Amino acid sequence: MLSVEVFQTMPVPLAARFDCRPGELVALVGPSGSGKSTLLRCIAGLMHPSRGRISCNDRIWFDSESKLRLAPQQRRVGLVFQHYALFPHLSALSNVALASARPDADTHAADLLGRLGLVGLAERRPSELSGGQQQRVALARALAREPDVLLLDEPFSAVDQPARHELYRELAELHRAVALPIVLVTHDLHEARRLADRMVIIDGGTTLQQGTPAQVLSQPRNARVAELVGIQNHFEGVFLHGSEAGWGRLQWGADGGTELHVRDKGRIEEGAAVSWVVPAEHIGVHRHAPRGPNVQRARLSEALPLGDIALCRFDMLNVRAAVQLHQTTAQLQRGELVVGEEVFLQFDPSGVHIMPRHVGLRWRKGEKRTLSL
Amino acid sequence: MDWDAARVSLLLSGLTALTLLPASLWVSRWLATSTSRSRPLIEAALLLPLLLPPTVIGFYLLTSLGGASTVGTWLAQHLGLHLVFTFEGLLFASWLINLPFMIQPLQRAFAAVPRSVREAAWVSGLSDWRTFWRIELPLAWPGVLAGAALTFAHTLGEFGVVLMVGGNIAGQTRTLSIAIYDRVQAFDNTAAQQMSLVLVGLSLAALAIVFALGRRNPLQER
Repeated sequence: MLSVEVFQTMPVPLAARFDCRPGELVALVGPSGSGKSTLLRCIAGLMHPSRGRISCNDRIWFDSESKLRLAPQQRRVGLVFQHYALFPHLSALSNVALASARPDADTHAADLLGRLGLVGLAERRPSELSGGQQQRVALARALAREPDVLLLDEPFSAVDQPARHELYRELAELHRAVALPIVLVTHDLHEARRLADRMVIIDGGTTLQQGTPAQVLSQPRNARVAELVGIQNHFEGVFLHGSEAGWGRLQWGADGGTELHVRDKGRIEEGAAVSWVVPAEHIGVHRHAPRGPNVQRARLSEALPLGDIALCRFDMLNVRAAVQLHQTTAQLQRGELVVGEEVFLQFDPSGVHIMPRHVGLRWRKGEKRTLSL
Repeated sequence: MDWDAARVSLLLSGLTALTLLPASLWVSRWLATSTSRSRPLIEAALLLPLLLPPTVIGFYLLTSLGGASTVGTWLAQHLGLHLVFTFEGLLFASWLINLPFMIQPLQRAFAAVPRSVREAAWVSGLSDWRTFWRIELPLAWPGVLAGAALTFAHTLGEFGVVLMVGGNIAGQTRTLSIAIYDRVQAFDNTAAQQMSLVLVGLSLAALAIVFALGRRNPLQER
């Protein structure tokens, strides 16, 4: 198992802690400049943090207390660089064979290239290969080391969209085939959600939350995570205990506004200012008032067509807030939804996730606010 | 045509290029990758021979290495080495004046090797030494040959330092450029023209090699 705990303030601030078990694919997700690649470089031994400890399979690679700093050559790390960093003067075969410590390095390399679908391309130089083929050579080179951990630094960013989907499939297959801890750095949430067993959200070098993609995306730990994972329906309110055990009330909006019936997990105090999110799949849109709790009146104020789907903005009538949802363009064309008309939105209580408000959260000017989705 | 001068010139140029190369490889790689604060000063010092008049360098070498100087006396007494008006002295002077011609192309070539490629080699398990031999040197090879060719061509044409440090001793320190000057002084323009043509041809060939190699750089194929 790979265990990482790194801390430093300069030159890139880091306060990160995460594990990756054999056979597990962990995605480090964060906006550009959040320190994800720096973290990967620390694991590979290409830079050393000020404090911390990095170990893999009971072998310590870095320990600031005992001043242990293994060089990259001593760590058995397979690293696929963002732009692959293939050796441009060597053939694909030599690129891979150079990383193999086996006596039959050439045979080993040819076997790896074959397994990654590069039969017949072994003698080509990187400049004679497509982006996807270069990526496979880089992956073969990383595996030729017979590494204890596989690190992938935005490996799909330099590949065009059609090739990217094929490579996703291949990585998923590789993930099933090898019992290695795999750490994938990406700023693409779709990629992380599709490939990762667990996601680690990083911002400003700090790990903010880790969990399965479903957990992180539906239950962000705080407002910053919600912003980072691009949750559109993110609001503020006041939490109140309910009369029924296990249920509470969420006051939405200033001066009372409106109230929602929500779960009370006993973690938030009465009257606490909170941030809350609700994933789109937990919001129902109805033309007629449905039965059940949390039905709120809203007006469809805007519908922005995006091909088969349309991004719809619903202005709430009882509170100054707007809910954004994707609806099918067909619904609009059939007149089931008409811009300017009133509808009823129903918020599923089990989908409403309440978080302590992140006090003092300020955006830096020009900062990229969300990850690409 | 002064064949002795041609022999001295070719020997001096070839030896200068060959013997200056190993240390220059080390220095230029360090300059290309180092983040040391002393680097700008060292770079400036190594470029200085390009700006100083050759006669100034020759004068300093003559006064600091001559028999009357402390260094010259020490070298003669302890190593039996005389660096003024000898071929060895010419070689030493050639090293100094050719430092920028050798180091500049090498430094640029090493600096052009992406850091990620060097790091990929380390992560692939290659030691620093193997990374240098298998990755950096082959990628910097056009720069290595360019540095050697420029040094060779520049040494062939050097006049001021050679005259100051080596003098004009036939078969020992008289190079083609000195011989041309000598022939012009003696109104033997035919011989001067022949030797000038040889120098032009050799320098042109050396520069053609530099440009030809520059086009076959694997780093530019991507």
